[in-house]
Amino acid sequence: MEYKPQYGPGTSIVAENRRKQMNPDYKLERVRSVTDEDVVLILGHRAPGSAYPSAHPPLAEQQEPDCPMRRLVKPTEGAKAGDRVRYIQFTDSMFNAPSQPYQRTYTECYRFRGIDPGTLSGRQIVECRERDLEKYAKELVETELLDPARTGIRGATVHGHSLRLAENGMMFDMLQRSVLGEDGVVRYVKNQIGEPLDRPVVLGKPMDENWLKEHTTIFHSLVGTPYRDDREYIEYIQRIHSLRTKYGFMPKEE
Amino acid sequence: MTDATFPQVRIVPLRLLKPVTAESLLNKLAGITGVRRILVRGPGLPEDVPYGPARGNPNPHHDRRTINVGDTEIALRVQVGEVILEVEDDSAITEIRSICDNFFVNYPYQILMGRFMKTDPTLVDYARYGPDADPDLIGLADPRSRDGPVIIRTE
Repeated sequence: MEYKPQYGPGTSIVAENRRKQMNPDYKLERVRSVTDEDVVLILGHRAPGSAYPSAHPPLAEQQEPDCPMRRLVKPTEGAKAGDRVRYIQFTDSMFNAPSQPYQRTYTECYRFRGIDPGTLSGRQIVECRERDLEKYAKELVETELLDPARTGIRGATVHGHSLRLAENGMMFDMLQRSVLGEDGVVRYVKNQIGEPLDRPVVLGKPMDENWLKEHTTIFHSLVGTPYRDDREYIEYIQRIHSLRTKYGFMPKEE
Repeated sequence: MTDATFPQVRIVPLRLLKPVTAESLLNKLAGITGVRRILVRGPGLPEDVPYGPARGNPNPHHDRRTINVGDTEIALRVQVGEVILEVEDDSAITEIRSICDNFFVNYPYQILMGRFMKTDPTLVDYARYGPDADPDLIGLADPRSRDGPVIIRTE
């Protein structure tokens, strides 16, 4: 029988969104467009247009040992070229941001190759070869995984995901990397570590509350979908909790 | 030590306030008769990037600016998240509540009653102000910064 991943339990819209994001067969909705140069500017790892610095010679120029794993696993473009390993890090507000750290890691592991995600409570970092990173970052920024107001691209000083929003709906950012202009458009004026950019990078208008509520992957009892309303999810979590608690006693299902 | 008999209230809006809004609110609150001390709190907005690869670089931020309350200039170093007031008696609290009801119309707020200001000097306060510190100033400014509390005179 062919195995079909279920990705996650739940009957709520939040659970459905989680499954959609994780499922590589689902095409993520593209809600904005940024140029490759914009991505390079926000990442701040190299100057736009400059060559990729390398960590080692291209694989084609190296004497690769005869290894079955190397025959089995094809290198990514970045690995082939010997790129450096670089990162992008996201902070997602708890107020109905479209994604959240664990969700991002699951999503990336299902969709991308050659990555090393790091998941923390308030931020999620993903490391990979530089040219792969730029490709992945573009997808992460352009699709429904990002909202300009509730998601921050923050390499350092990420504080803000659990704070109240500002009056204009922006998530708090100590370094104010992104600014909501009077025209309602969010622009990145600093790169992800807080260095000013030569020109602002336009990410577009923040999504409205209804869109966020329909696309979020975070349960929130006050501003979104309450966790307790999704009975199937609770049943699943209680089962996991129960089993892992009993694990030490050799559990047997009734 | 602070006299424990003075009531204190904490105003918590649902959103972090912009400097213009904070200025307007503080001006209204400072005009109330019977307000002894006001403490403004919120997440910090440092002048320099405090850590990370860009550590030490200047950190321009639209919300870190000087506001005028009464006749006094105050350099905001935080994004205002809550305002704590110590008042002479309960009549001032009624007035604070009515001002806030009229002020926060776009988003809700909470008023909490209790003890919110520091009552005893800590070790850091002792190191900064010495043994004879004015008890009214304890807890009103970060003892590790050079800035002290601001005195506001209103008509």
